[in-house]
Amino acid sequence: MEKRNDTAKTSLLILPRTFTSTEANKTGSWRYLRPRYEEKTSPCSAACPAGEDIARIEMLAEEGLFKEAWETILRENPFPAVCGRVCFHPCEGKCNRGEFDEAVAIHQLERFLADTARKNDSKPVIVGRNEKRPEKIAIAGAGPAGLAAAYFLTRLGYGCEIFEAREEAGGILRWGIPPYRLPLDVFRAEIARIQDLGIPIRTGTPLGPSFLSEAKGKYAAVFLGCGHSRPRGLGIPGEDLEGVEEGLPFLASIRRGNMPKISGPVAVVGGGNSAVDVARSVARLGGESWILYRRRREDMPAFETEILQALEEGVKIRELLAPVRLERKDGRFVLTLQPMRVDGKDVDGRGRIVPDGDVETMEFAKVFKAIGEEAGEDWYRPPAEDRDVLRLSNCTVSMKPGLPIVVYGGDLAASLKSVVHAVASAKEGAIALDILFREGRENLSGGLLKCRVGEGPSLSMEIHLGGPRARRSGHVVGYSEINTDYFQMAPRITQPRLLPEERLRGFDEIDLRISANMAIREAGRCFNCGLCNQCDNCFLFCPDMSIHRGEGGKDRWIDYDYCKGCGLCAAECPRNAMVLEEEEGS
Amino acid sequence: MKRVLEGSQAVAEAVRLSRVAVISAYPITPQTHIVETLSDFCAQGKMNARFLRVESEHSALASLIGSATTGVRAFTATSGQGLALMHEVLHWTSGARLPIVMAEVNRALAPGWNIWIDQTDSLAQRDTGWIQFYCESGQEVLDTVIQSYRLGEEVNLPVMVVLDAFFLSHTYEPVDVPEQEEVDRFLPPFVPKFKADPAAPCAFGPLVPPAAYMEMRHSMAQAMEEALRRYPAMEEAFEGLFGRRYGTVEAVHCEGSDIVLVTTGTVTSTCRQVIEELRGKGEKAGLLKLRMFRPFPTGEIRRHLGGAKKVAVIDRNFSFGASGIFAQEIRAALCNEPGHPPVFGFVAGIGGRDVTADTLKEIYEQVKAKESPEKESVWIGLQEVRNET
Repeated sequence: MEKRNDTAKTSLLILPRTFTSTEANKTGSWRYLRPRYEEKTSPCSAACPAGEDIARIEMLAEEGLFKEAWETILRENPFPAVCGRVCFHPCEGKCNRGEFDEAVAIHQLERFLADTARKNDSKPVIVGRNEKRPEKIAIAGAGPAGLAAAYFLTRLGYGCEIFEAREEAGGILRWGIPPYRLPLDVFRAEIARIQDLGIPIRTGTPLGPSFLSEAKGKYAAVFLGCGHSRPRGLGIPGEDLEGVEEGLPFLASIRRGNMPKISGPVAVVGGGNSAVDVARSVARLGGESWILYRRRREDMPAFETEILQALEEGVKIRELLAPVRLERKDGRFVLTLQPMRVDGKDVDGRGRIVPDGDVETMEFAKVFKAIGEEAGEDWYRPPAEDRDVLRLSNCTVSMKPGLPIVVYGGDLAASLKSVVHAVASAKEGAIALDILFREGRENLSGGLLKCRVGEGPSLSMEIHLGGPRARRSGHVVGYSEINTDYFQMAPRITQPRLLPEERLRGFDEIDLRISANMAIREAGRCFNCGLCNQCDNCFLFCPDMSIHRGEGGKDRWIDYDYCKGCGLCAAECPRNAMVLEEEEGS
Repeated sequence: MKRVLEGSQAVAEAVRLSRVAVISAYPITPQTHIVETLSDFCAQGKMNARFLRVESEHSALASLIGSATTGVRAFTATSGQGLALMHEVLHWTSGARLPIVMAEVNRALAPGWNIWIDQTDSLAQRDTGWIQFYCESGQEVLDTVIQSYRLGEEVNLPVMVVLDAFFLSHTYEPVDVPEQEEVDRFLPPFVPKFKADPAAPCAFGPLVPPAAYMEMRHSMAQAMEEALRRYPAMEEAFEGLFGRRYGTVEAVHCEGSDIVLVTTGTVTSTCRQVIEELRGKGEKAGLLKLRMFRPFPTGEIRRHLGGAKKVAVIDRNFSFGASGIFAQEIRAALCNEPGHPPVFGFVAGIGGRDVTADTLKEIYEQVKAKESPEKESVWIGLQEVRNET
């Protein structure tokens, strides 16, 4: 190879140039720090009970790859259209962008992606396992937990059959959540997609206590996702008077299309989401809603956004009032209430309440009880933990001899009662069963640990299936690890919403859709913490031209023959998708 | 077409007419309307150029080195502190033999913080290998930028066109803006003698050992001499098309004068008036305007000053521990001439202070009254400073 130094020489122009390549000088030998591409875990995905790959979803959404983004959600959660609407989005609370300006509106983007897929009649390509498993699994209850369990288990190759007592699948989605939060057609479309996987749903088929023992031999496992349906009593005189209604059946009746006219003041006793839903439904039917709660407002288990919207709609909340007696007088209800005050703390961290002063009375035209529910049948309850019963984060697995493996899921065993926790419970149960059938009981806890998103407890089905996400580090990216020089302040999208007076006219969905432009802009606010979005900062900043890119600029690798280990690439990576480590032996 | 333009706008018009392909600048004070106007031209499509907004003056010039190495015309503008920050890259530009043109608005250096006229910023870059012109009017600024591309490209050296802050950069004057076709005739498209070529990859500016470095630098010295030799022909061509000519120096009544004042920049215009007044009173007074500073027109200076009885140099700059810088250079140019006149050095108008007709008359009177200079530099117009403790 002929190389030479040359001098472009005229009488006035002596210009040194060299045609010798610097490739001979392997500057990589100078290196004592080694940069490496390593994708990490975004805090939102670790905070999502369903472990959705949010940073990647928003990256795809920003590129306008709406179907791919939607399919990425579906890898971890079969209900994006539902969760985009009713989830309390703990992801947004952990969004690093929140420390910069405002959290990314993840739930709005989730809903947008799901609605767009439905509008386009998209058929998702959902990654699963090709090999079919011999084990059959029965699922009791077609609520969010049961449906999700069937969805995950089917993708893992198991034959599933769902049994549902009511005439239609959906559980709380069908019978509990009012239409202004979740229109019927929305969740029906999601259920149809699950059925399209070939899962039979036997509606109108209630199961009895003998089911578990009868299932032996026919089913290798049973997933119980029957939910909580038996109302808890108030335990006060007069609570069974005629005309005192339970919250959940009232909501179910509205879901059936009954719209009774209500007038006058209406008491709703309780502080959970059902209480708020009842109060808001009553307001829509013409009543004057009063939520009466024995603790403080900040202790209410209902989601904060729901409470705020209820207040906007004219619902009144009285806190620290415990009902003691209910009577009828002249066709009205007289509710005697004991004022309470906070005195120290309860074991659950909420303020402990004690009576404070004299009772008072309030008169109401109607009274609803909505203080929560418990398991409908005793055999739904998970057995106490022993050597055959494992209590996991969001489900309980019973491996008692003589019975099929039983997973108690959904509200029966989840750490919190929400749709996304039902999904988390179903996923944990499905992965647990898969590990038990394929690798045995001794590998259960190790196998579950491998699927964790970050530090857990969220699990990823994609990781369990060995997808690309399995290669990421579990390190959860913190705000200080983001190179914010590369981001500009931008306000979070506002949720277009019906005005309070428009909402009260009926049960129309109150949150309106956002445009594709708005969605792309909002997705563009995402830092994509820990993920490479091929911004090419590493390539541009590398002084040694040691970053190489594959076809179409998609893959990147470092030429360690020449990388001096200066670390510029890692320092200039906006989203912490690289690490810089000490060279071994240096 | 005659238009009323700011000095800064005159620079911008000249850059446009020179069909510059890349402009790079750092838009912080001390910047001027030069790059503001140019960025407008680029945004409006009046120029087919890339405008690079960079993070420092150092980067402004460094990015032009990259651009010019690909064989295109490049331009930047700066001032005072910005020029000081460019210092390292100024050397590189000339060593790399890139005919980049820069407009340099003379501004005082801090502290004290001062954005008014003072020539010390550009004179401190005297030895960086750049050709330097000091201009007197908006018209001269426009013409000099166009001339600079032609001269710089002929000898492969960068050119700094220097103009006074405010007195020239921000003053509106009638300026004849030539038509594009006329300028194209004077300044044809740039044909680089070398350029980066992806088909024949090479590195510019590698290690040059002692065995070659000296010849390389000597070739730059020769290029400077060549610039001086080619200057008259360049101006000939310019005058033929536009009817204007400036010379490396301009002598006003130098012949037969007893006392010749040497000026640069806008002080020259004031001095023209003073000389006429003095001559009206029978004084034998002359004026030499120094326009080209690098290469230094030693021959012309000797020719015009050799016959005077006394020479007074007015410096709007100072080399601390020595004297005004132009005075040093004039002395050096004359010292080997037998019987050369004594050179009186005056420092005036530092940091934007006015140099009025009275200032110049006072200088004239002082020179007339003395046989020979008592000091290397006399600071004119100093106020009494009281030290209060």
